Amino acid sequence: EKMPAYKVYYFNARGRAEPTRLLLAAAGVPFEDVRFEVEKWPEYKPKMPMGQAPVLEVDGTMICQSAAMARFVARETGRAGKTNLELAKADMIVDGVADLMNAMANYHYYEPDEARKAEKKKTFFETTLPQFLGHFEKLLVANNGGDGFFAGDGLTHAETFFLCLYESISKENPNVLNAFPKLTALVERIRTYPGIKEWLAKRPQTEF
Amino acid sequence: MPSYKLTYFNGRGTAEIVRLVFAAAGTEYEDVRLEQDQWPELKPNTPMGQLPILEMDGTMLCQSNSIARYIAKLAGLAGKTPLDQARVDMVMDGMVDMGNKFAYEIYYEKDEDKKAEKKKDYVEKYVPQFFSSLNKLASDGGYFAGDELTLADIAFYNMTTMVNPYLEQPLSLDGFPKLQKVEDNVTSNPGIAKWLKERPETPY
Repeated sequence: EKMPAYKVYYFNARGRAEPTRLLLAAAGVPFEDVRFEVEKWPEYKPKMPMGQAPVLEVDGTMICQSAAMARFVARETGRAGKTNLELAKADMIVDGVADLMNAMANYHYYEPDEARKAEKKKTFFETTLPQFLGHFEKLLVANNGGDGFFAGDGLTHAETFFLCLYESISKENPNVLNAFPKLTALVERIRTYPGIKEWLAKRPQTEF
Repeated sequence: MPSYKLTYFNGRGTAEIVRLVFAAAGTEYEDVRLEQDQWPELKPNTPMGQLPILEMDGTMLCQSNSIARYIAKLAGLAGKTPLDQARVDMVMDGMVDMGNKFAYEIYYEKDEDKKAEKKKDYVEKYVPQFFSSLNKLASDGGYFAGDELTLADIAFYNMTTMVNPYLEQPLSLDGFPKLQKVEDNVTSNPGIAKWLKERPETPY
């Protein structure tokens, strides 16, 4: 059976495209990693289903929205849990991670007032984030003791979203997972996962 | 069949998408609505300290869209093929973005002048642009995926009707005939029509 042709369209960044790129890498599926400069975006925008990036193109069909893209690749490559319930458990982690990434984007990109920005960032790192990491740790432990993955017994899009979150938050605070041993071990497990390990070494190094 | 228990506050809020899917699916569930003072006791026992949650057979799920997708999947309302499922997911996520944009930029904006300006921008620029994209994604028959009702259509109806009460006038579907069909398909679904008539009237 012929493998579909995958293209990922995004800016030259990890951002909201990376969870999908990581899944493609984990599956050993080749893809065209299209990265456009900000000035080029107006050329691409009208072609995108909702005028936004990232977009996953599969044999010419375009899928937008980062979680929808990742879930599609996860399902196609057998990394979406084995049951509906396992998928739901992976999805709820992805939603929680997305909430946190939105909160970061809110203070980073959308808060113009410097004082309010600093305050929001402080609240995020001192309260919101530790609370959610605590929930994630507990949920991980609830899945067979926490030495595997968030859902079922394999890597899913929950892990690739979580790694992307970790990469953002650990830049601000390298000790951010100190209180969460199972999450700490999970990060290493994701980083050394076959396919992902190679991708992390060869992907473009970008600030975001 | 497992017994489903959905817990939320006494409002539509982020739980309503789930209630609408249960209605379309014709699946029985316990619709638990907490008073605010009942929440602190339950909160530490929930997966992420938030509502809504769905309990069934000793498992607890959180995050309204993940719950909605789970129930929709079981009822065949989440798209038949992998690409259809991806279409359903992306439309649902787009509707969440539309709701979040309203919440962050308008609902939570305290400065009255900024709020009015943002509202104008939302209604006159953002929504028409977004609806134009959605209208292209919908089929002539008024479905976002395949040729029958899915969670995507329900999400479109749910979010537009969620935002409408906070605007001077309901968002217009003029110029977006396929979106009007989507809305009609949702409101004429027998299970949903029944729920819309019977559901409690709440402020949000």
